[in-house]
Amino acid sequence: MKRYFFSLTLGVFFILIGCKNSSNEVVVYSTVDQVFSEPILRDFEEETGIKVRAVFDTEETKSTGVINRLIAEKDNAQCDLFWSGDPLRNVVLQSKGITSPNQSEQTDLIPGHFREKENHWTGFSARARVLIYNKNRISPDSLPRSILELTHPRYKGQFTIANPLFGTTTFHIAALFTVLGNTTAEQWMEELKKNHVVIATSNGDVKKRVMNGELAFGLTDTDDAFEAKKESSDVDYIFLDQQPGGMGTLIMPNALSMMKDSPNTENGKKLMDYLLSRETETKLAISCAQMPLIKGTEVPEVVPSLDHIIPMKIDYIQTSENLEQIQLWLKKWVEE
Amino acid sequence: MGGGVTRQIARFVPAVLLALLLLGPLLALLVRWLTSADKVSLLAVINTGTLLLVGKSLLLSGIVAVLASIIGTICGFLLYRLKFLFRGFYKILLLLPLLVPPYIFAVAWKDGFQWLFGINSAINPEIGMIIVHSLVLFPLAMLITGTALSQIHSGLEEAGLMRVSFRRMLTKIILPLIRPALTISFLLILIISLSDFSVPAFFGVNTFTTEIFTQFSAFYNHQLAISQSFLLVLLCLMLLLSENKYLSDAPFFSVHVKGSSTKHYSVRKGKTILHILLWILLVVVLVLPIVMLFHQALSGREILFSRAWELLSPTIFQSAKLAFLGALLISATGLWVAYLKERSRFPHLNTMLLLTFIIPSTVLGVAVIKFYNQPATNFIYTTILILLITYVARFGFIAARIIGNGIKQIPGSLEEVARVIGIPPVKRFFSISIPLLLPSLFTAFVLSFVLCLGELGATIMIYPPGTELMPAKIFTIGANAPLALTSSMTLISFGVTMFFILAFFLIGKIIFNRFRYE
Repeated sequence: MKRYFFSLTLGVFFILIGCKNSSNEVVVYSTVDQVFSEPILRDFEEETGIKVRAVFDTEETKSTGVINRLIAEKDNAQCDLFWSGDPLRNVVLQSKGITSPNQSEQTDLIPGHFREKENHWTGFSARARVLIYNKNRISPDSLPRSILELTHPRYKGQFTIANPLFGTTTFHIAALFTVLGNTTAEQWMEELKKNHVVIATSNGDVKKRVMNGELAFGLTDTDDAFEAKKESSDVDYIFLDQQPGGMGTLIMPNALSMMKDSPNTENGKKLMDYLLSRETETKLAISCAQMPLIKGTEVPEVVPSLDHIIPMKIDYIQTSENLEQIQLWLKKWVEE
Repeated sequence: MGGGVTRQIARFVPAVLLALLLLGPLLALLVRWLTSADKVSLLAVINTGTLLLVGKSLLLSGIVAVLASIIGTICGFLLYRLKFLFRGFYKILLLLPLLVPPYIFAVAWKDGFQWLFGINSAINPEIGMIIVHSLVLFPLAMLITGTALSQIHSGLEEAGLMRVSFRRMLTKIILPLIRPALTISFLLILIISLSDFSVPAFFGVNTFTTEIFTQFSAFYNHQLAISQSFLLVLLCLMLLLSENKYLSDAPFFSVHVKGSSTKHYSVRKGKTILHILLWILLVVVLVLPIVMLFHQALSGREILFSRAWELLSPTIFQSAKLAFLGALLISATGLWVAYLKERSRFPHLNTMLLLTFIIPSTVLGVAVIKFYNQPATNFIYTTILILLITYVARFGFIAARIIGNGIKQIPGSLEEVARVIGIPPVKRFFSISIPLLLPSLFTAFVLSFVLCLGELGATIMIYPPGTELMPAKIFTIGANAPLALTSSMTLISFGVTMFFILAFFLIGKIIFNRFRYE
């Protein structure tokens, strides 16, 4: 009886472990919020019959997951396609020799400014940096119009930004260093500190602190701002530096990279083409107000158009290189 | 002679295999680091800034360990040595904070604090971290000291009480007798607090662990992060070596204390005060966070429980299946390792499990990826086997100590008699040891199940593509989802964990009644 019991236990154990991977599949690692990326991957699965095996993660919560995993898997790639929320991560992977170039009819639809010149990454649907504010704490007329005005004494201790070592805030600060130059940008950040900026743990934390009225305003991404507006009528947002001749606001496209020596390269390319389509951009516009990069894509009225926003004029590669140089300084700034 | 060799092979080959599976990744990482051209040496890591940070981290975690040990020891004494109504109820509920990721409690307490005292009552980050860690970790001290208190023979206390007052007996007899348990509680809590990343990061406290994670996740500087991790591991090992003997014999807790006659003190006066104090503690550590999560879940513009259920329900079966398999494997490994240690005087595997237990989860994750992500071991890396191996590495030590404690309580004479009358070893093991160990095995299984169900640190780094697991999904969806949705998902996850604990409790009752020896 006991032997039967143990044989049964062992049998159940191995049956439960057993799982067979299909050959008609694609493996995608994504740092885009799962709540938005997963439905699109499911649609691809239904439309093509190719099974999508995904690993989701998010840079916003300082996870060490996907990027470190891709770096650790360099010598035996498991992932076919990397879908990032911004191109910065793709540039890191490219610099480590993990990505492979991929060009197709779909990649050619994307404006050259949002692509790496050798097609190691291709951008699509973009978010922008915005200022989110609580209407009960500050009137729209009193808001700063430029990011440089955050150092004004009247805003002392009233605003927040996410930790600049992580997530899209890293990208934003690196872009400011690129546009302003290191000396001016460092001086501006020192003044932010003197003006008692509150360093939140993530953009989500910025949203939460502004929504609950703990702080009057903060810098975050358009998708967070849209979520906040859905959750609370006390919250609204504005684009900064939109005056004629202004510095503009940072535009952050999603970015796709094919992995070098990936196990399902062809399916990876099919998924990449699927994502680089008007249909996908429309879906992302509806679900999280992302702004399409392909001309003529249909979007809901509430989604701002890139045609009406003054973008910050930066080179994404140069910004990434800049980031590497300023990271230690940023770390000191955070810890001071 | 031939039989002896076969026995030695049968004993050592599985031991070497287990060591290869669990220790292999860490040794490979160490070798890779030592031979790397761009290696960052330990000496290069040690500088004034690092030493100050290590000192600050030790100070904060030391305060946590002292507070948690004091609260835990007091609770251990009240719940394990006093006789009063609902003792079991308090014991189970006060254990729950240990089974929920600390980050969830950090969010709930911070919001609860603001909710109760207003948004301007911001809590000092260091104090916030100390409070959260102390309240989450004190149940560990309660378990360990409670078990130690249950093992003190009543004769010692009664003899003491004949000559001296209760207070003097407490300080001169009981406290010295449970000193090993107090030391273990202190050290384990110190180490767990020292290697936790989530709570200090949430409160914005810069500790040595957040520094390591920054190097990993912001700078992708694996070499420096690994060097710093080795420094952290060395630090933990130094702390552990000082009390190695006690720690490798850590009681954790026993389900039954067979053959002992523990003295239980009746509470004549102050019953009401006792209940009030325990309820205050329950409210702070459990009720307030849960109420906060409900408040957050219901305060959105719409109720999102059904959406949360829709997102989480596909993960529940997979998570439960994985936790079940993990718990099965951990309990089997724990039984084997504990048996080798207690009966065959072979403690090396137990020491190995102790080592893998103290390694920070991210370091373990990177080590496991680098070791198993080879074409030859793809069958491990691309399936849930990778998670099962990691779970054994993370929680095997706890199971081994719970079961080891059970083995210690089985008189050796029982097996000796069976051997003398010619019962073969396998039959002796299954007919004598296993039935007597059932309560410990069951407890190890349930605890391992709950720990596997909630494990996040390593899981998120290594889960095979396409696998959907509850903690990973809450973590990734929670990043940008409305607070009401995240809180709803957390509550569902909490409810699922409670469901399994309750189910196991009922199953345990049936099993123990069936196997009870009157």
